[in-house]
Order: sequence, then C-alpha cells, then structure tokens
Amino acid sequence: MPIEVLLIEDSPGDVRLTQEAFRDANKSIHLHVASDGVEAMAFLRREGPHAHAPRPELILLDLNLPKMDGREVLVHIKEDASLKTIPTVILTTSESEADIAKSYQLQANCYLSKPVQLDAFESLVKSINDFWLTKVKLPQQRQNG
Amino acid sequence: MKTKSLLSRRLQLAFGSAILALLVVGAISYRGMAESRESDRWVRHTHEVLENLQDLLAAMQIVESNARGYLLTGNESFLEIYRAGIVKTDKDQAIVRELTMDNAGQQRKLDALALLADQKFQLAEKVIGLRRTNGLEAATEAIQKGSGKQIMDDFQKLIGQMQDEELRLLALREADSYRRLSQTKAILMLGIILGLLITGIAGWSAQHDHSARGLAEEALRDSEEKYRRLVQGVQDYAILMLGPQGEIRSWNPGSERMTGCKFEEVAGKNYSRFFSPEDIARGRPEEVLRMAAATGSYEDQGMRVRKNGARFLVRTTYTASRDLAGNLRGFSVVSRDLSRGSESDAKYRGLLEAAPDAMVVVNQGGEIVLLNVQAEKQFGYSRDELVGQKVKNIIPEGFAERLIADGTRSAADALAQQIGTGIELIALRKNGSEFPIEIMLSPLESAEGTLVTAAIRDISVRRAAENHLAQMEGRYRGLLEAAPDAMVVVNQGGEIVLLNVQAEKQFGYSRDELVGQKVKNIIPEGFAERLIADGTRTAAEALAQQIGTGIELIARRKNGSEFPIEIMLSPLESAEGTLITAAIRDISVRRAAEKHLAQMEGRYRGLLEAAPDAMVVVNQRGEIVLLNVQAEKQFGYSRDELVGQKVKNIIPEGFAERLVADALRSVEDALAQQIGTGIELVARRKNKSEFPIEIMLSPLESAEGILVTAAVRDITTRKKAEANLLNKMEELNRSNEELGQFAYIASHDLQEPLRMVASYTQLLSRRYKGKLDSDADEFIAFAVDGAGRMQRLIQDLLAYSRVGTKGKDLLDISSEEALQQALINLRGAIQEKGALVTHGPLPTVFADEMQLIQLFQNLIGNAIKYQNPGVPEVHISAGMNGGKKWTFSVKDNGLGIDPQYFEKIFGMFQRLHKREEFAGTGIGLAICKKIVERHGGSISVESQPGQGSTFRFALAESENKS
Repeated sequence: MPIEVLLIEDSPGDVRLTQEAFRDANKSIHLHVASDGVEAMAFLRREGPHAHAPRPELILLDLNLPKMDGREVLVHIKEDASLKTIPTVILTTSESEADIAKSYQLQANCYLSKPVQLDAFESLVKSINDFWLTKVKLPQQRQNG
Repeated sequence: MKTKSLLSRRLQLAFGSAILALLVVGAISYRGMAESRESDRWVRHTHEVLENLQDLLAAMQIVESNARGYLLTGNESFLEIYRAGIVKTDKDQAIVRELTMDNAGQQRKLDALALLADQKFQLAEKVIGLRRTNGLEAATEAIQKGSGKQIMDDFQKLIGQMQDEELRLLALREADSYRRLSQTKAILMLGIILGLLITGIAGWSAQHDHSARGLAEEALRDSEEKYRRLVQGVQDYAILMLGPQGEIRSWNPGSERMTGCKFEEVAGKNYSRFFSPEDIARGRPEEVLRMAAATGSYEDQGMRVRKNGARFLVRTTYTASRDLAGNLRGFSVVSRDLSRGSESDAKYRGLLEAAPDAMVVVNQGGEIVLLNVQAEKQFGYSRDELVGQKVKNIIPEGFAERLIADGTRSAADALAQQIGTGIELIALRKNGSEFPIEIMLSPLESAEGTLVTAAIRDISVRRAAENHLAQMEGRYRGLLEAAPDAMVVVNQGGEIVLLNVQAEKQFGYSRDELVGQKVKNIIPEGFAERLIADGTRTAAEALAQQIGTGIELIARRKNGSEFPIEIMLSPLESAEGTLITAAIRDISVRRAAEKHLAQMEGRYRGLLEAAPDAMVVVNQRGEIVLLNVQAEKQFGYSRDELVGQKVKNIIPEGFAERLVADALRSVEDALAQQIGTGIELVARRKNKSEFPIEIMLSPLESAEGILVTAAVRDITTRKKAEANLLNKMEELNRSNEELGQFAYIASHDLQEPLRMVASYTQLLSRRYKGKLDSDADEFIAFAVDGAGRMQRLIQDLLAYSRVGTKGKDLLDISSEEALQQALINLRGAIQEKGALVTHGPLPTVFADEMQLIQLFQNLIGNAIKYQNPGVPEVHISAGMNGGKKWTFSVKDNGLGIDPQYFEKIFGMFQRLHKREEFAGTGIGLAICKKIVERHGGSISVESQPGQGSTFRFALAESENKS
C-alpha cells in the first residue's frame, strides 16, 4: 500500500533531495509535489487536473512559496473540515522564532528546520518517516473521489 | 330806752373827751410854745457864746499883734493896747465861762484856754522884757525859739472847738426841739383830729346804729394801726433807743428782724451783744458810744451778729441825746442791714439758677439756704421742700461733717480744706433712691456769714464708666500676662506702670523692681524720647507717629548686659491718661541670623562673581536680582540692563514657568522639582540670537524670600558634539543594521544555493563513487570538500555576527549552570576523548546566558580538541583578584601555544594547524573574544608549547551580590 505524502515545495533542488531522502527512508512512500500554494490546494481539493488526486496522509509544507504563501496554505488546510485532519508538518529553511510561533498558531502539527548538511537532512527525513508514518496512528480516511 | 341813755352817755363822753382833748391840746401847745421859746433862748445863748468866743479870740489876737508891734517898733503905745487886750481876754473868758456853766466839756476847754492864755502872756512878757533890755534881735530870737506861734494855734484851735461844740449842741438842741415840736405837732394834730373825730363820731354815732359806729371804730383802729406801722414798720431799718451805757430801752420790729431776737430777750441788755466777739474784745461798742457822745452823732459801718450767729453788715448812725442840762440821756440808733437786696445778691441768684449742675448753698448750720432748679430735678424735691432743710437729708454723710467747725478749728478752716477738691459722696433722692455724686465746694461771704456753695454732679454714669474701665483694665491685665512677648505699659512721664511676667524674664527684674521705674533704665535710648511731648507737638501726636511700626532699639538687662529688641507701640486710654503699651521682642537671634545672612550673601556674591559659568539669581516674580560678569558676557547685556528685568527676556521659555507657583503648588514645591537637574533650554542674547543652554537651579534663602540661583552654561559646542554623536550613532546603527542584514543574507540567502551544491555533490559522490573514473571521484571529492567548507565558514560567520546582533540583555546568571550546559553540549566530544573536566565554585555573573554557554563551549571544546593522545584534563575556575570583575580561567593540558601567536589566534579564521590535523574554521576564539568584549571584559591566554594553555577572561559581577 503506498503512503501518500504531499510535499509543497518550490525549490526543485530541495524537491529532488527530499525525494531521494524519502526513497532511502521508505520505499512505499508515494511523494506528490506541489510547487506552489495554489497547486497544493487544487491537489488537496482534487480540483482541475488533480481531480483524481489521492488524499495524502501527510503534508510537508514549506513556508516561502510563490503565489500563495505557505502560511496561507496552512490556514486553508486547517480551515477545511475535510483537510484539517491531515497532519501538516512545516519543513522550511527558516529558523526564525516568529515563523515557528506563527506556524503553531496556525495549527501546524509540527515545525522542522531543514539542516544544511545532507546527512543531517537525510537523517531528518528518516525521522519524519519513523515518527509520522510509522509510529504515529493516523486517522483512517479512505475517501474516494 | 337803753339806746337813748347810751346815746346820751356817749354824747357826754364825747363832749367830755372833746373838752379833755382841747385841754390836752392846749397844754401841749403851751408846752410846745415853751419849747420854742426855750429853743429860741438856746439859739440866742449859743450865739452869745459864739460871739464871746470870737471876742476872746480877737482879744487874744490883739494882744499878740500888739506885742509884736512893740517888739518890732519898741513903741510903748503898743504895750498899752497889749495890756488892755489881756484885760479884755480875761473878761471874755469869764463871760464865756459863765455862759457855758452847764457844759463840763466847754468848761474844761475854757480851762485849757486860760492856761494857754497865761502861757502866751508869760511868753509875751518875757519877750517884751528881752526887747526892753536886750533889743530886737534877742527878742526875735526868743520868739523864734519860743512856742508863741504854737500857743496861738492851739488857742485858736481850742476856740474853734468850743465854737463847734456850741454849734453842735445847738444843732442837737434844735434837733431835739424840732423833734419835740414835731412830736408836739403830731400830738397836736393827733389831738385835734382825735377831738374832731370823737366829736364827729359822737355826733355821727348818735345818728347811726351800733354796728356803724363799731365799724367806724374799727376803721379808726385800722388806720391807727397803719399809721403806727408806717412809722414803725420800716423793715430794713432797726431803730433802737439805748441808755447812756448802751442798754437797750426800746426798738422797732425792724430790729427784731435784723437781729433775730425778740424784744423781751434783749430789753435792758447791752446792745454790744450784737457786735462780733472780736469787736467786743476790743471795746468797739463802748468806743462807738463814746464817739457818739463826744461828737453828738456818729456813723459806723461794721459787722453785727444775729441771734443764730450769722453775721451781717450794717451801717449805723448813733445820735447822743442829752437833756437841757447837757446830761447824756442816751442814744438813738438807726441801723441799716446792707446785706439785703444788694445788686450782687441778685446777680448771684441768677448765676445759680443758670448753672448746669445742681447747686446748693448751705449755711454753717448745715441748712440749705439756696438751691437751683437743677438741684430740684436731681433730688426730686421742690424748692420749698429743700430750703431750710438740713443738707444731711439729701447728702446723708460726708457733707455736713466737713463743714461744721469742731472744737479744734473754725468753720473757715474746715471749709478751706475742702474748697476746690471734688469730693465723692452718696446722695439721696426724695424717692429714697441713692446715687453717687461729686461735690465741689466754694465759700461765699454773705451778710449772713460764710456760706458754702456746693456744685453737685451726678456721677452715676461716670461711676459706671469707671467700673467698666476697671473691668477693661482687669481684662487688659489678663491679656498682658498671657502675651507671649514681653509687654510693658508706660505713662506719659516715661515711668513703667505695668508689665507682664515675660518682661520680668527678659529684663531679669522682678515686677516690683520695675513698676514705677523710668523706662529709660531698661531701654536707655529711643523709647522715652519718642514719647515725651516736646514743645512742638502733643504726646498724642508724638505717639501716633510711632504706633504700629516696629522700632529697633537696644535694651539693658538687670545684669547690665544689652540686647537688641524690636518694640511695637500701641496707645491705651486709661483713667490716668494716655498710656503706651510696648510689645518688646528680643531680636538677638534674628539679628544674628540677619548678620549671618548678610555675611552669607556677601560670600555668595563673591562666589557668584568668581563662578566660571554665568550665574543668574531670580526672585519669585521671575525678575533677575543678581548676575555675574559671565552672565553679562554670555547674554551680551550689561549688568544694569539685566537687573530687574524679567528672566523671560533672556530665557523665553521653560525657566519662568518652572518657577512661578501655580494654583496647585507652592513655589517651594515648584522649585524642589527642578533643583539639581540640568535643564536644557534656549536662551536669547541681546542681539536676538538664540543659543542652547543648560541651567542648574538651586534655591537660595534670602531676606526677600526664596530666590533661585541658575548656573547657565552655554552648551552650543556640546550640542554640536551631541548632534555629531547622534549622527555618528545613527550611521553606526545603520551600518550595524546593514551588517546584520548582511549576516542574515549570508546565513540565509547564501546558504540555500550552498546547500544545493553541497548536498548534490555529496549525492554525486555517494552514488557515483567508483562508477566514474578516478578523476571524476577526485573532482567530486574536492567539490564536496569545498562546498562543505564554505558551508561551515558561512555558519561560523553567522555565529560570529550573531554575537553582536542576536545578543541578549545582560542578566544575573549562574556561570556554573552555563558551564554545565556547555558540557552537555560537548558530551559527545568529552565521551569520545574521555576528557576530565573539573571546575571550582563559579559565581553569579552579569552576562548573556547563551553567549556564556557558547564561550565555555568554545574554550572547553578547544581544550579537548587540541590535545596529544591521552586524557585531556580541563579545569575551570573563577576568582576576584582584587577587582570588581570575576576572572575565569580555563586551564588545559593540551598542546600549548607559541607566545608569538597569542594575538593572532583571536583573529577571525586564524588557524595554527592544518585542516588535516585539526578541524575547525578558526572562528572559535574570535567568537570568544567578541563575546567577552561584549560583556565589557577582555580575554587573554597564558601558554607555552607543550605545556598546556590557560585562557582567562573577566566578567562583571552580578549586580546583586551572591
């Protein structure tokens, strides 16, 4: 059974790195990518070309996105009754206290800073997998459509 | 029948009495004629005597002239006539003697004449003899020496006297006879009238009834009575008949009235009883009679005494009455009381009535003789009720006693003692109520003796006022005693009349010692002078000028020491005149304070002038009272231009407002808020240019109240410097910000691409190691290495920059805890190397916790890293070392450092070892240095190669000492 994870990230380099890291961590993870907030919401709401998109079990959200900012995306997700139950993890380069506080205020499930070193990054992804996708009990939500 | 007999009896009676009357009249007429014959005879006699006396004189004169003639001429013919003259004188004398046989007095005179004549003759004989024998000169000499002239004069005088006597006797006789004739006439008239009347009545009554006759008789009696009264009823005259010795034989009712005696009381007694005792003592009554007897008639004016002892003035004529033989039969006395109805009396009564006070005139018996209408009103009596009353009835005590002469002194003396002084007594009204009076006595001589006039004033009001005054005085004394200041009351004579206990204390006297003393004794100068009225103004005016103002004088204590005082005068009306109350305050302390203040002010002024800053002293109204030369220079004014000006003119805003008391707080409060702080304001010079100043205010107590001293400093340069500084700071801040931004850029924006590079090169290396050729491996390896280094460098740079930009405020933190945290952070490295880290007691310090942790971490990390193989040992300690900072030491047993590199190692990215030997960017110590410097300290190292190193740094101790 593939684990659907949505990665909302605009930097292709970071996307590839994350992909590689998740591949190493857990081969059953199916990593979807949205490169901006609008696309992300369309995917989550299964709008347009994403009509048949699967519902992710985990959302990894970068804060600094073009068009719709990551914070906005967070707000939308958490306002949507059907979407807010999906654990949303902020994954960003920013370490600023303000961003951290704001994210939690907006009800992000947790906040992670991307390490600069590759191995540290890979370790982090592994942790995410270990924690969120293995240990944590996720709600059963098999919705079609 | 009865009537008829009565009638005839009456008729008989009438006629009988008519005949009787006629007979009496005849007798009296005869007598009267005899009288007049006698009187004629006397007149003839007198003339005869007179003539003879004259002849005698003439004869005497002939004698003399002839004697003289002979003396002068020596002619014998003169002598003949001379001798004939002598004979004549003898003859004349004899005649006269014979004629005046009945008059003893004349006889005596004749004797005297004879004597004189003899003397004259003898002298003449002598002179003639001398003439005959010795000649003219001798005779003339003898004449001159002799008393011839004198004799002649006496002779002549005596003759004159005798003539006078004769004339007087004649007059007397004539008067007598005239009187007798008058009497006779009167009686005659009376008799005739009587006769006629009787006849008339008889006739009339014969025809009229009983009642008519009775009426006529009554009428007659009436008229008789009237006539008698007419003759006898002269009230103002006393007419008495005295015997030769003065015994009272008869008198008229006027005498009774004048003397107050009844005739029965005095009949037969001597009239001298009515004289005053003094007159009686010197025999005046007898003398008067003698004079009267001698001269026939004598007039006298003198004092007599009434029965009640009252004296009165009389004018009396005494006439001696003699019988035909010349014997003294007695005296007739006619006396007039001069004290009655005189003009002065009337005037006096008028004054009395008009007097505003009650006036009562009292005699020596204590009876009221006179009073005025005011007295009636005051005492509530009518005049009649009071006249004659004892004055005791209206003035029970004190008046009568004072008047009555007691045994030791006379009434006049008794009175004299009372005259003039006002005597306070109690008077009694008719209704029994009493009221206080003051009486002023004055004597009044009157015909009735010394009377006393008493002016009586009702002093009830005055008494009430006196009581009130006494009360006020009582109260005043109370106030005086209670006064906090010394109070002294002085009279116009400059004597102390009153003082309070404070005055006793201040002057060191007891009350008794001061009362009555001259105030000069305690206030030598300045007080008494101000009070005493001098010739130009009254005491009241002198006082008025002084009242109210406090006058500074010098006072003297009992022990002689002097002290300055301030006196405040106020006038005080009292019964004894205007007194002056002086409140006396000892101002020694005040004087000393004033002196001190003046001294201080003097010193202050000196300081002010000498001050390097401009100093301006301002009063509470915001006016400049004082300034120094610096102020003149600074503001560009001269001193005179500024003193008195409002400080607003040189400091437009901010100064005056701070000073002026507003409604909410006093000047002191307003000032207190400003004192000490330097206030920056803008000042204006005379040329209107403005410049920034800083003023420092401090209060100054002065006699004029609280003044404010402002030190005014021109801070133009400082302001510029400040502005510069501000600019610089702004620049710095900007550059810091830029730097910070740069750091951020470095950290964030640079990191991103770097991360890509580093990550992918690593991925490349991982995935394609051995899958490409060895060159590719090497190339990729170098790329990876480079990227990695760059990442580390940027991270260190970021860390370094964060020391300043991300530094937190310094707080009290436990350096021990910071160390522990650092060690936790380093546990990996510590475990790996098996390092032994120890430390001593570490204090609380004033520091940024994160940075302190980083500091420890870097130093301890270095200590562990730069080691030879073996067990690294690190020891951390802290000590004060006699300063205010904690000096920390991190000592290790590592490689040590060559002293030449001590400075270098703290530089940025400075390394002493190859990368292969030891990892690290060389930023660690630079960060440590920056941290320590941020904490206000410095970092240093002690080391020798191969002997380990000791890094030292100092941190400020905690603000709260631990």
